[in-house]
Amino acid sequence: MGGACSRKSDQRDNEDILHRGVSGKYCKSGSSKWLATSFSRPAIDIQLGRGNCPPLMDLCIRKICEDIDRYNTFSMLPRDISQQIFNELVYSQRLTDVSLKAFRDCAIQDLYLGEYPGVNDSWMDVISSQGSSLLSVDLSGSEVTDTGLLHLKDCTNLLALNFDYCDQISDRGLELISGLLNLTSLSFRRNNAITAKGMSAFANLVNLVKLDLERCPEIHGGLVNLKGLSKLESLNLKCCNCITDDDMKPLSGLTNLKALQISCSRVTDFGITFLKGLHKLSLLNLEGCRVTAACLDSLSALATLLYLNLNRCNLPDDGCENFSRFRNLKVLYLGFNEITDACLVHLKGLTNLESLNLDSCRIGDEGLVNLTGLRHLKCLELSDTEVGSSGLRHLSGLANLESLNLSFTVVDDGGLRKLSGLSSLKSLNLDVRQISDTGLAALTSLTGLTHLDLFGARITDAGTNHLRNFKNLRSLEICGGGLTDTGVKNIKNLSYLRLLNLSQNSNLTDKTLELISGLTELVSLNVSNSRITSVGLRHLKTLKNMKSLTLEGCKVTANDIKRLQSTDLPNLVSFRPE
Amino acid sequence: MKKEDMVKLISAEGFEFVIDKDAAMVSQTIYNMLTSPGSFAETQHGEVTFPEISTTILEKICKYFYWHLQFASGKETEFPIEPELTLELMMAANYLHT
Repeated sequence: MGGACSRKSDQRDNEDILHRGVSGKYCKSGSSKWLATSFSRPAIDIQLGRGNCPPLMDLCIRKICEDIDRYNTFSMLPRDISQQIFNELVYSQRLTDVSLKAFRDCAIQDLYLGEYPGVNDSWMDVISSQGSSLLSVDLSGSEVTDTGLLHLKDCTNLLALNFDYCDQISDRGLELISGLLNLTSLSFRRNNAITAKGMSAFANLVNLVKLDLERCPEIHGGLVNLKGLSKLESLNLKCCNCITDDDMKPLSGLTNLKALQISCSRVTDFGITFLKGLHKLSLLNLEGCRVTAACLDSLSALATLLYLNLNRCNLPDDGCENFSRFRNLKVLYLGFNEITDACLVHLKGLTNLESLNLDSCRIGDEGLVNLTGLRHLKCLELSDTEVGSSGLRHLSGLANLESLNLSFTVVDDGGLRKLSGLSSLKSLNLDVRQISDTGLAALTSLTGLTHLDLFGARITDAGTNHLRNFKNLRSLEICGGGLTDTGVKNIKNLSYLRLLNLSQNSNLTDKTLELISGLTELVSLNVSNSRITSVGLRHLKTLKNMKSLTLEGCKVTANDIKRLQSTDLPNLVSFRPE
Repeated sequence: MKKEDMVKLISAEGFEFVIDKDAAMVSQTIYNMLTSPGSFAETQHGEVTFPEISTTILEKICKYFYWHLQFASGKETEFPIEPELTLELMMAANYLHT
């Protein structure tokens, strides 16, 4: 019981948001982003081999999971052991409604069944039998209904509940859990049935620290019930397009609020005025809201603000002078706005900035001079801007820069020399048509690169010689059409590669697959629109970590891949053609 | 073999297993007992009694210790576990931090 007080179950997601803000989004093609989302669930991953000797404990747990049908009950085991068996069963997808019964009355604390197949109300009996031991339950994506929630009534020590994507839970379900007064974290993402009426249940939950109602379209008017939740620190109302200025008023007294997300809502400048008193707010997401630069006036009162997302707000330059007041900001997203170089002048003094997003803004080379003093910048997004080679000289002093996106800009080979001193750079997106082998040659000093996107660049076999300098690459995309098997010879020794996209190089043959067969870390491979045939597939047998394989426009059928999947690539979960 | 390089593990039934200290110290619990600066009786006599662990299980544990050493030196084989021993073995492994 005492342990319950010190649990930090609510921290993960907040950091997740910040982290994503700083280092997410590596490239436009979307394929690299995929690396960030794992298909596996977070749980213990027991593996033999790789030099690490498995503890006897892990071997026993594995053995039990293999023979799970032999066991009728684990209730005689200490609960931390039952917990480990449960986690491993979930992780290895061996848990069924039958094997679940062995966990009745095991006093387990955490049941993470998010996205687990087959979970429905019939599971709730065993879940609730953990009684007062139960601290957190994740049933996101399950078929659980209001009736199922009735079971949780007696699990009064519950701290965290997650019912994301449970579309059969409604106002009635909320009422049933309103007695769980110890709850600190509650999540109901994408629920169409929760309305203001049902939200009156929240008024009881005075210990709530974190509430997530992302994509709940019927909650307008319900936030008045949060007024008394003085411990609330994080409120996610992303993509609730029913939320208006009226809904902001009840939030004005929640002075412990640290993170507020109301992106894609109907909140305007007037609604923002209610946030003035939230003097602990450090994260505010207003992406896609109908605000103008006038809201900066209200927000400048928030001295603790570290993260501000104003992407897609149609902000013009007018009023942007107020940005200069946000001296503590670490993350500022201004992408997809109408701002020009004139706005960047006001960012000059934001010397604490670590991440700046100017995607698709009307900024050019002259504006970048205002960034030269932002020495803490780690992540800079300039995709789809008018930035060209002469602007890059203003970036050459940003020694801490780790991620730079120049895709769809007008930079060319001549400017890349200016980047050669950015030795902290890990991720570089040069998905730019006018970049060629010459440009790549200027970057060979960037040996720390882990992600390099040359999707549309005109790289040929000769250029691939320079890739040999980038031994740490985890992801690489070269899809400009100029590669042949000869060039792939320079890729085959990049042994850390997890993602490789060589699609659109129509001259690549089965030889390419043979060359990369030693890249055993590969998780994702795309060689679409090439001369690969089903005969070449056998070279992929060694790539046991492969989860995604894309060979569209090749002489390969879905059945060819399925056969390979069943015999040699057990981890393959996504493939094309399908 | 010097006596101080060996250690005696005694099961609930009183059965004695004399094994290499190096092997026994695969267990974090035994390691702590044998190396703690305080004067544990175990440290002095090189003997540890496990009133909760049966002979069958302790024998299996000793086999694991040696398997572990082999594994660490690069001989990566499978460690066989009989299904009927698993639960009891797991409880012991938990106690021994192994």
